[in-house]
Amino acid sequence: MLTYTVKRVVGTVPVLLLITLLVFGLLQLAPGDPADILLPEEATHEDIAEARARWGLDKPFHEQYLTFLASAVQGDFGESFRYKESVTELLVQRFPATLELTFFATLFAVLIGVPLGVWAGARPNSWVDNFGSVFGFFGISMPSFWMGIMLILVVSGYFNLLPSAGRETYGVAGATITGFYTVDSLIEGNWKGFVDALSYIVMPAATLGVNMLGILMRVTRSAILDVTHEEFVTTARAKGLSGQVVLWRHIVRNALITIITVVGLELGTLLSGSIIVETVFAWPGIGNLLINGLGTRDYPLITGVVLAYTVLFVTVNFLIDISYGAIDPRIRFD
Amino acid sequence: MGATASAETRLTLGITSNLSTVNPYGDSASHLYGLWGEVYGNLCRYSFEKGGYVGHLAEKWEVKDENTWIFHLKKGMKFHNGTELTAKDVVHSFFRMSKDPESSQKQNSSRKIKSVEAVDDYTVRMISHKPTSSLLSYICGLWAISSKDVYDKYGAKEADKNHPYGAGPYRLKEFVIGNRLVLEKAEGSPFLRPGSPDIVIVRKMTESEQRVTALLNGEIQIAQFIPPHLLTRIEKSKSARLVPTSSVEIMFLAMNPAMKPWDNQKVRQAVCHAINREGIVKALLKGQAQLLQGPIGPGQYAYNPDHKPVYDYNPEKAKKLLAEAGYPDGVEVDLYTPVARYVNDKQITQAMVPMLGAVGIKTKLHTPEWVTQWANVRKGKVPFFYQGRGSVIDPGPALSQYFETGVSPRINFSSAEYDKLMQAERAAFDEQKRIATLRQAMSVLTEEAPACFMWTHTLQYGVANKVDYQPRPDGRPYMSEATMKN
Repeated sequence: MLTYTVKRVVGTVPVLLLITLLVFGLLQLAPGDPADILLPEEATHEDIAEARARWGLDKPFHEQYLTFLASAVQGDFGESFRYKESVTELLVQRFPATLELTFFATLFAVLIGVPLGVWAGARPNSWVDNFGSVFGFFGISMPSFWMGIMLILVVSGYFNLLPSAGRETYGVAGATITGFYTVDSLIEGNWKGFVDALSYIVMPAATLGVNMLGILMRVTRSAILDVTHEEFVTTARAKGLSGQVVLWRHIVRNALITIITVVGLELGTLLSGSIIVETVFAWPGIGNLLINGLGTRDYPLITGVVLAYTVLFVTVNFLIDISYGAIDPRIRFD
Repeated sequence: MGATASAETRLTLGITSNLSTVNPYGDSASHLYGLWGEVYGNLCRYSFEKGGYVGHLAEKWEVKDENTWIFHLKKGMKFHNGTELTAKDVVHSFFRMSKDPESSQKQNSSRKIKSVEAVDDYTVRMISHKPTSSLLSYICGLWAISSKDVYDKYGAKEADKNHPYGAGPYRLKEFVIGNRLVLEKAEGSPFLRPGSPDIVIVRKMTESEQRVTALLNGEIQIAQFIPPHLLTRIEKSKSARLVPTSSVEIMFLAMNPAMKPWDNQKVRQAVCHAINREGIVKALLKGQAQLLQGPIGPGQYAYNPDHKPVYDYNPEKAKKLLAEAGYPDGVEVDLYTPVARYVNDKQITQAMVPMLGAVGIKTKLHTPEWVTQWANVRKGKVPFFYQGRGSVIDPGPALSQYFETGVSPRINFSSAEYDKLMQAERAAFDEQKRIATLRQAMSVLTEEAPACFMWTHTLQYGVANKVDYQPRPDGRPYMSEATMKN
């Protein structure tokens, strides 16, 4: 297990290097210069040249890249051109918001998508299956920006049930402990803060998770159907086990590998989707930060956020791989 | 959400622009000038009601000679930490604006000034590099006056972040970069009005649907910039209303004379006659704009109400001008517009394409990302483009920047007569003389048409009925001017 973990961590290094190189290269190729965008209308050519020199943009590409790498290995991603703050600090401030949103979106997708898929797979061609299929397709087909705006218009605008944007009501949340407002308010016993945090996260999490929900429902349904026709299921039934025991102990457990693999893969989509959802709901996470960075060609910020997303994606996939061993004892990592 | 149980009044403002940095000199965006003005205070501000500059931290000023300006500070103005604001703080603020490596204001706020010195505790002498009669437009509403002592004690970063003591009506309570800013009333400030909100929360909300929804369900009390298609939602509301203000952002179609066919004045004039501006304002802007008959409109300094329209919608005249310019069979051009930077920018320029085509100017529309377009405009590489220039209260600086020879390559226009008039207006300290010279310069500009001046937008704000607030044309959110109704 330890050897496997070390191998995986070492294997991550070239991925991160490649990502930084790609981001750096693409940013250089993209039209528009940070100094042109960020300096005021009145800035002269000399001002622009001075800003470029201050930000190191006057140096050749390889020199800029190596300088960045030398700092990045020490956890320093430079200073944001726009925000004039350390990118690492900005990431530390914003990362919990994105993690919390992603967690709740995954929870929403798994808690609804998997039971619905199991239910549909266990009763193929029934009304439950038909309902689940329609629901699944709905989730898969729905563009998140449209779904978000519709939720804002209907749930916040028409029914006035939930707040339309942001992460908390000013003055309600307590001290920041973990950065997850729901968890922090629970730790402090601040129920008002907990309800407030939940009320803000419901719509963005549902918007972000609905696509994953649809896919999970469809995948779970077909995995259940596949496993149902395996010989060991027939044997279990022949031994006289009840339908529920066969379903949950034998069918669902054997379908879990497929489901968890899809959860892992879909987390990547979920993370990229969070960029749009955070913008629609003014959610103060790193996706929102990335959009602002892109609009101003804030090279250090963009590179830092993309790296953060990469690390998160790689970590999630690593955890998913590890979880295979717990689910299926036949899988070993040595 | 306007008031809590303790009767503390809260006002939340939903804005579209970024809250980028806690450094009051670190960004030159209009809304941040306004917000920092509320925290730190300004020497002076422009009053749209009075049509001129009025004192804020300064009581009055005088022009000693064409390069020397004397500012007299109000006595007894206190920073939020209780210390008195004096002339040395003004000198220090100039130092930060002009020398702070993170300052984005040195280019537009302090460049015209050679030196600032304290004559005594309440008198400041400013020396300009050249005679600049419009000097106040570089200072008023722009310079935030921060404490020298706090800076000396803590340094720039620590002072801005954890000790942001100003002498404005609000103290900074929280600043979450890119997200939210919270202000708390500085009790006893002479700039507060009865009913000014106790707490002001400024939230970044870029989506217009979101701002309108948040206004209607009480999450926010003021929503900035309501686009034309959402006006009816607020009009139908019982809890909020629309409050319009004219903008000081001039919208224009620029034509770069360094490139053909824009080197020909008649082609440029043909464009101005070919566009049905009334039709566009009615159909695409739902009437939310005022046509410009020259570079500026009512409410802007030196506007001439007697100025007669020069460019009516006249396709026949446009065709004739094009033929006289040597293009009887028409000409092909490329038009550039950003998308979603200005109200309905893409739709507006799309509507212009057939109008121009009808007179023989076959136009291909390009819609690059704003950052690309702006970088190219700055380098003078864009031949024909739709653009706005904001914060034009006194038009002198903006018109010099865009149209005076050699000031910037954006349009590459050059006219000896115009240059001479612009130099003369800067040296004219007699107001009537200056206004007359500016008007003459604007007439030349309109006639030579390096740009067709289109309109200024009407900015619509959504305001909760329990709030009294009149937004300013320059977009400065002076929240001490808002009052909460009982």
